Amino acid sequence: MLHSPALRKAALQPRGGLARIHRVAAWAAGLMGLVLLAGCATPPPASDPDALEAYKEANDPLEPMNRYFFELNYAADELLFKPLAGWYYVALPNFAQDGVRNVLRNVHSPVVLANDLFQGETDRAGVTISRFLVNSTMGLGGLFDVASRMGLEYHDEDFGQTLAVHGVGEGPYLMLPLLGPSNPRDAIGRVVDMAFDPLTYIGIFGGVDNIGLMAAVADGMDTRARNLKTLDEIRKGSLDYYATIRSLYRQHRNDEINNGKTPEGGAGPGLTGDSQSAKPLILVPVAQIPAVATPLVPRRDPLAKALPFFIIKEAPGTNPATLEP
Amino acid sequence: MTTMRVIRILLIAVTLAFVAAPAGADDNAAASTFMQSLGSKAIKELTDPAVPQAERQTRFRALLDEHFDMPAIAKFTLGRYWRTATDEQRDEFRKLFEDFIVQSYSARFSEYHGQGFIVTGSNNVEGGTTVVHTKIDMPSAEDVRVDWHLRSAGNSFAIVDIVVEGVSMAVTQRSEFASVIQSRGSVAGLLDALRAKNAQSADSTGGGAQ
Repeated sequence: MLHSPALRKAALQPRGGLARIHRVAAWAAGLMGLVLLAGCATPPPASDPDALEAYKEANDPLEPMNRYFFELNYAADELLFKPLAGWYYVALPNFAQDGVRNVLRNVHSPVVLANDLFQGETDRAGVTISRFLVNSTMGLGGLFDVASRMGLEYHDEDFGQTLAVHGVGEGPYLMLPLLGPSNPRDAIGRVVDMAFDPLTYIGIFGGVDNIGLMAAVADGMDTRARNLKTLDEIRKGSLDYYATIRSLYRQHRNDEINNGKTPEGGAGPGLTGDSQSAKPLILVPVAQIPAVATPLVPRRDPLAKALPFFIIKEAPGTNPATLEP
Repeated sequence: MTTMRVIRILLIAVTLAFVAAPAGADDNAAASTFMQSLGSKAIKELTDPAVPQAERQTRFRALLDEHFDMPAIAKFTLGRYWRTATDEQRDEFRKLFEDFIVQSYSARFSEYHGQGFIVTGSNNVEGGTTVVHTKIDMPSAEDVRVDWHLRSAGNSFAIVDIVVEGVSMAVTQRSEFASVIQSRGSVAGLLDALRAKNAQSADSTGGGAQ
């Protein structure tokens, strides 16, 4: 694609965020090509209704390609990411790991806030604002999650969830290279979320190359380190690791979309567990957030939770977990 | 310093205003009591790291047989293929499924010692199922939200599903089995895969199952 060495050199040395966006676009175009090349799974014939039903339920028409990327991701994980995450886990004290995660979450707050508001979740938007204020000041720039000790617990939101709340279906399952399980809705959501991420603008206008990428890598490393044992166990305990991860991803996303609440009707055996909430669109300006209207009842005794911070007896979330040799 | 204190108090006040009241509903106190005592018992019996793996498996199997509706769970996880399976296949699947569950889950308990098990409420959902909401208080990480789906069985209850952070064990198992049946072409293929997996796990844990 790049013929002259000069062009190639220019592409390899990104200047600011714009070059990176070009590279991402080229990469996405390449991926699209692969999708077309790889082709689709052949649906079972109508004469086999059980197989056809199972095919529809899996909602994975690109399964051969997805499985291929899953294998590649697995190999990359075994060779590179898992060992790196292992070193990160061993080398960094647990309070430092919590600090890394707290800072990343704090920086990411505008994304969560924007999506809280898009979903009409004003109470949760209030929690996100309060957390940001408390953790940025008392939490020393987000290093300590003081807000959690006051009963203001962290929650995640992203544009994929916002789309789902407004009735956009997930589309077919996708296994993205390096990025892992996804679907068209959540993949688009990732891109839209970059628009609300302050790091995107620091990267483009502040001249800090790849800051968003570095944050994403740090986030990926931290998440992987926290799941070292869990993923190994899931793999060891499954007959079909790919299908298990596919199911876990979908259910986990639905749970996030429903904000951890059981959707109408409950989800027990007999239900497929893929029900989605369809809430009406209520956009409330930030100024109307009912700071005073909500009942003044703390979920837990906030002073009792806040107290340890003032005494500073222990680092938040100190982790005595052990690691397998 | 007083300015800092005023700012802190203000921040706390702003913070308090946003925090909502808890739900705290308890539709079925008997189910909550059942889960609380079973949870405490399970933690005591299964999470002691000093217990050898084989013994842990035996204890776990006893808990499964006594407190879980294993036939119903097995039937659910086989999904639409239950209908087409022969009686022999169903019987064998039930047995292989229980061995599979015992082996793939019992190893995990040894790592969860010392955590709290707190029932946070319950509610009745359609179909005679009661969901008991619990929180497992992990000293090393964030709390884990676990919902237990119970059906009444005689004077007590039987567990039909465990939903961890919104992820149903029964649904996950069912979609995995469906995928195996798809790729191997038949229920017999799934039984082969389960047999092979159980034999492999039994080897690696020193023959704990059976």
